[in-house]
Amino acid sequence: MLKPEMHLEYLAKSLWVFHCNSGSCNGCDIEIVACISPRYDIERFGMKLVGTPRHADALLVTGPVTKYMADRLRRIYAQIPDPKVVVVVGNCGCSGDVFYESHTLDGPVDRIIPVDVYVHGCPPRPEAIVEGVSKGILKLEKLRQGLLEEREIEGFIVTDPDQEETLSAEEVLAE
Amino acid sequence: MCTTVMTGYGFWNVFSWLTFFVLITALILWFRSQGRSDYKEDSLQDEIFYGGNPVPSDGAEITVPASSAYWGFKKALHGFYTLLDSWHSGIATDYVAWFVFTVAIFALLLVF
Repeated sequence: MLKPEMHLEYLAKSLWVFHCNSGSCNGCDIEIVACISPRYDIERFGMKLVGTPRHADALLVTGPVTKYMADRLRRIYAQIPDPKVVVVVGNCGCSGDVFYESHTLDGPVDRIIPVDVYVHGCPPRPEAIVEGVSKGILKLEKLRQGLLEEREIEGFIVTDPDQEETLSAEEVLAE
Repeated sequence: MCTTVMTGYGFWNVFSWLTFFVLITALILWFRSQGRSDYKEDSLQDEIFYGGNPVPSDGAEITVPASSAYWGFKKALHGFYTLLDSWHSGIATDYVAWFVFTVAIFALLLVF
């Protein structure tokens, strides 16, 4: 079947992003919204926020992951098709920040799901978020190439030692 | 069966209809094939996204019944709806009796 994007060497697919607020104060969320405003306008690169993880390539997580949100975050991560990357936006998601070791938290994010890119700041500026997502694209391209190679050799799974592995949905829920 | 119907604005016959049917089906199948195929079947990637929550097995929990649109009316006019509900027996002969009774009253009003 003809797939035009297969002829592109880079950015074969526009990056669609799902945003999950796992207990953020909304500061980081406002900066994410600023990224799609006319000043930064990431949609000109085809990046856009989508309403369901099933359409997404990347997961943006804000907030330190409250106990209530932990299972929901796991489920959201599991529902994103492979390959996928996770970008944590803000100090709370990266380390817990001032809420570190709070009794109401299960986070930070990397205790719940595997994280590919950390964007620090309280809140980070939109430029930092755009840079973080750009790094996510590089990781995603590597993962995509890995998956393509797996499919080319039918019946065999190619494992690239340089390739960082992302946990599968079942593995994450099993944890 | 194979006659061509001329309407004055165009025509229709079974062969042209079948041709368009096949063409449009092919187009739809091609569109479908362009969707993502890199998800894992029979995993959570197959499941409906319900805000990160498990999808309730009872469909009534995730649907809003049409009666909900009238909730305010039913609350505000509680006495009226209670009366109406009590009149609704669900037996057809009762409704016919109500009809005959109402027609008789109107007939009396018209006569006198």
